[in-house]
Amino acid sequence: MALVKNKQIIQDSWHHLTAEQTSLANTIVSLDYWQQNKQALILSKQPFGLKVSGDLPAESFSEALKHVSLIAIEFPVFSDGRGYSLAKTLRDKYRFTKEIRAIGDVLPDQAFYLSRVGFDSLELKSDLSAKLAIEKLADFSVYYQKDSVSQ
Amino acid sequence: MYLYNELDQTLVNERVEQYRDQTKRFLNGELTEEQFRPLRLMNGLYIQTHAPMLRINIPYGLLSSKQLRMLAQISRQYDKDYVHFTTRQNVQFNWPALEQVPDILADLASVQMHSIQSSGNCIRNITSDPLAGVCADEIEDPRPYCEIIRQWSTLHPEFSYLPRKFKIAISGSPQDRAVTQVHDIGLHMKKDTDGNIGFEVLVGGGLGRTPVIGQTIADFIAEADILSYLDAILRTYNRYGRRDNKYKARIKILVRETGLEAFKAQVDAEWKDSKGGELTLDAAAIERVKAFFIAPNYSVSDDKQLNSDLEKSGAFRQWFKQNTREHKQTGYRVVSLSLKSPHRPPGDVTFDQLQLIANLADQYNLGQARSTHDQNLAFTDVKTEDLFSLWQQLNEHQLATANIGTITDMICCPGLDFCSLANASSIDIAQGITETFTDSAIETGSLKLKMSGCMNGCGHHSIGEIGILGVDKKGEQWYQLTLGGSDTHETKLGERLGRAIAKDDVISTVKDIVNTYKQHRNDDEKFATTFKRIGIQPFKDKVYGTR
Repeated sequence: MALVKNKQIIQDSWHHLTAEQTSLANTIVSLDYWQQNKQALILSKQPFGLKVSGDLPAESFSEALKHVSLIAIEFPVFSDGRGYSLAKTLRDKYRFTKEIRAIGDVLPDQAFYLSRVGFDSLELKSDLSAKLAIEKLADFSVYYQKDSVSQ
Repeated sequence: MYLYNELDQTLVNERVEQYRDQTKRFLNGELTEEQFRPLRLMNGLYIQTHAPMLRINIPYGLLSSKQLRMLAQISRQYDKDYVHFTTRQNVQFNWPALEQVPDILADLASVQMHSIQSSGNCIRNITSDPLAGVCADEIEDPRPYCEIIRQWSTLHPEFSYLPRKFKIAISGSPQDRAVTQVHDIGLHMKKDTDGNIGFEVLVGGGLGRTPVIGQTIADFIAEADILSYLDAILRTYNRYGRRDNKYKARIKILVRETGLEAFKAQVDAEWKDSKGGELTLDAAAIERVKAFFIAPNYSVSDDKQLNSDLEKSGAFRQWFKQNTREHKQTGYRVVSLSLKSPHRPPGDVTFDQLQLIANLADQYNLGQARSTHDQNLAFTDVKTEDLFSLWQQLNEHQLATANIGTITDMICCPGLDFCSLANASSIDIAQGITETFTDSAIETGSLKLKMSGCMNGCGHHSIGEIGILGVDKKGEQWYQLTLGGSDTHETKLGERLGRAIAKDDVISTVKDIVNTYKQHRNDDEKFATTFKRIGIQPFKDKVYGTR
């Protein structure tokens, strides 16, 4: 895995929740975990992230938005465009300003569109893919639509 | 017509380079076929039976003579000296080499053309009335709005991985000449009681395996709000459209399964947040685009020359009656260039013809031509005094077949000859029909025959007055006929005639249908009227009674 943010490959400061971990700091938890451990997560005062599937309506986890520092939207297959609308909705409707990350089946050729609907970090399969994704972010110097407002 | 500014040109140029890189990586093996597929499709490139097929957008059917010459040149340099016009006003090359497509796109970009989103699960070419701006019954010229929506939908970051393709058509007249009712979204321009411009919005129409007529989702959306309203529909569709089965993924299925009222409520909930926001069109933005579509300075003239020309030649009279239409300006006519001559498949145009059309467009039609959804071309601003000379030249090049609106002016998909989806051939059936009816087409009257080689319905068979659908039965080609469909403002799906017909019997069956109509029609009654009056039974009796 390689993470692209601000047009660079960076070391990921986040990790996904595992069974053996003791601190919840910088952990990305599942929606189930959030729902079952809301109070603990909020009281811990540690930054945490939430992983959601691209097909989820934003309403189903909107109460978490003011607590989380990162939303990771998972693409089951690259051709499933629901995650794009979800990110756009989080930015425009919910004014979510923290990190939105694309995870799952994310292809370098999608980097440009993903960044424009509000994703600011992309998890790619390899360093090679990540390098290509950075190149692809510069495919267009112009476009017609306005970008998401909260980026 | 609209002319690119620096932004438009840069965007298209950068798209060419993007696609060049994608093609290179695919050929190097860095992209799998599965990964390359949506990328090439979003550039209009299909893999067909014999070769790739490249579909080029003609935005709402408008072409300049320069663009026509470029299409001709590409057909010569990269293809087999002909092109094919489609039912969505686009044009297709049937024999390009995959590795040469980036060069073709670069040539197209040099004349402000592209293939962006001419295929794939995204918003396709915006289509419209080929008579926009020149017909007498127009409420408002739809072309500026087509262009605004074209720009908004081009390389749309959010709506490029939709559940399925998405087609939008706009009509500015009560007479719908853009088959808006069988589009994912159909827009009908209208004015409210205060004269404000807006749109009636239809949603969920479509042909294919499950043909559906679009339903009105909003009676009036003001022009300022049209993009935010479209955005709300698209987002609702992108979120909730089915992705588990590609045959159930079009918005028509979502609307049907959700119910129109519930779907409308979802759209309204989405729109509530975005209405009045960044997508709102201000008057200046609309005016800026409208400036490209101002009517030319028509000269004041009468039909004196025309009237004397009409005296001279019966063949010219016949062509004039059949292939030209009223123009809002006295002294002008709209001319259809029939691409349905007996000499080639419906919608095909050769290199020589394209060159000629470009020259004639310069000479007689302000340097422009238009493509129509029924796979013909049109010159929309011809002085009546020029008609005779135009006709003579068109006639010499097999572009003046006097058959517009008749049975030989049929819509037809490429079928089994080219398409890897097809179950049956359509071009040879079309040839048979043309041979059989060429001499009697005019006398038979207005009769729309539409034919598809498979149930995907590219040939619009479901809305043909006579519809022919190719089906595969245990490896044999059979044809399912429907009657009484309509592609007008009162769009209707045809009724099934009965069991499928063997290939060898299709032409004689069409003959039986035409003869039954002729036998029952009162005076010059149209097929649709006769069919409504007598129903399908007499046709069934004639066709199946003898078999």
